[in-house]
Amino acid sequence: MSNAFYVNPEQLVNDKAQFAQKGIARGKSMIAAIYDQGVLMVGENTSASLNKISEIYDRIAFAGVGKYNEFDRLREAGVRWADNTGFTYAREDVDARALANFYAQHVGDMFSEGMKPLEVEILVAQLGNNLRPTKLYHIAYEGTISDEPHFAVVGGEADEVKKRFASFEGVMTNLSGTLKNALSALSGPERTVPIEDLEVGILEDGGSRRTFERLSDERVREILARSD
Amino acid sequence: MGLPLFDASSDPGPSFFDYVSSTGRKPFADGPLEDAIHATTVIAVRFDGGVVMVADRQATSHYVASRDMRKIEPADRFTALAISGSAARGMQFIRIAQLSFEHYEKMTSSVLSLEGKANYLSPIIQNNNLTSPFYVIPMLAGYDVNHDIGRIFEYDGAGGCYERADFNVIGSGSPFAEGALRLGFQTGMDEESALELAALALYEAADNDPSTGGADFVRNIFPIMITLTKSGFLELEAEAVGERFRRINDRRASSGGIAGSQLR
Repeated sequence: MSNAFYVNPEQLVNDKAQFAQKGIARGKSMIAAIYDQGVLMVGENTSASLNKISEIYDRIAFAGVGKYNEFDRLREAGVRWADNTGFTYAREDVDARALANFYAQHVGDMFSEGMKPLEVEILVAQLGNNLRPTKLYHIAYEGTISDEPHFAVVGGEADEVKKRFASFEGVMTNLSGTLKNALSALSGPERTVPIEDLEVGILEDGGSRRTFERLSDERVREILARSD
Repeated sequence: MGLPLFDASSDPGPSFFDYVSSTGRKPFADGPLEDAIHATTVIAVRFDGGVVMVADRQATSHYVASRDMRKIEPADRFTALAISGSAARGMQFIRIAQLSFEHYEKMTSSVLSLEGKANYLSPIIQNNNLTSPFYVIPMLAGYDVNHDIGRIFEYDGAGGCYERADFNVIGSGSPFAEGALRLGFQTGMDEESALELAALALYEAADNDPSTGGADFVRNIFPIMITLTKSGFLELEAEAVGERFRRINDRRASSGGIAGSQLR
């Protein structure tokens, strides 16, 4: 006779959520924000090769926080999905909304059915054109997907960083201003994040098909030095 | 099509071809031989500082199927792909190759070396040519940014990949173009001499091979000419290409179609 113990589902979900939150809280925060010409993604990352921000497709970028191996597998799956969709149909048929939904379904399934929930939070950004709007999707560890109109913050101190960044809202217009605000929101009042420890990627139209650009430390310095 | 997640042990890695094959789809399906449309002459010549390439525009079945086909395409910023053989498979091949190089770059955050690209294509060509009558003979050329030289890779029907130090021709016009190239090629040529030699070789091929279209002065459709240098893939303006072919044509016309012991 099978006698599985009864577990209160609310208790189970709370335990899982706490577990995932703890994993994510160990990492640094990441900000994604829409500016006048595109989308900026910026986060603290001391590694120059284990990236958190990546190109998925011509107009789609990815950012992940939490356990690297977990979100990097999702990134790889995203690149495969996008390249295969564009190969099967056409490049313009690759839509970030479909990808964000797939991520949400998978992360949600892992939360409710997996051995353990994924300790990740994901951002999917899409640079708009005449076919689609500029979009920022946030996928939380339990599979909740939200469509952020201006900016999103994920990672360790997401709430504080979000509060700080929100206080700048309204004054941000261009890349330089948005990056300055993001840097100061990530740093907080007590410390300054050195530029070498930043990972920055943007989606911006620059004449070529692929709009993602990883910004070097020099480029970041140059952009920060611009007077608005 | 769901989210393509793999275990570490079954992961197809950064190869797009391996990934698509793992999904059960065959990028190149087997099929019976029918009226295949063929693409024809493409020439590549190495010079000091890179490679120049020229290709005719005609696709031929029992009739002229297309007069404005593009047989050279950029595979990425520093690499060009050219095709001969089945037009259908060739175009598919170009799509897969272009996507594969970009896929690798996105998956690994590093650019595949030129030699890596050349080797990657071998099994894809082999896979197509040994299982299907729709054979494709491509050519890969590029500016190797890791070694600062232009390089040309040719393939045989079984996918064998060979690097060429001087020049290469693919397609049905090869014998005629090759004759001109063998007589005219010199080491250490500059870009202009290489462009002129490649254009002359194509002119020869178009003159003698019915499946190779030359400059079409009636419709203003001209061969595609490109250069691969440290500035990347650059396609010459159609007008400039037309001028070059008009000059060659005028010279030939003035001597009654005889080259006259000179490469001119």
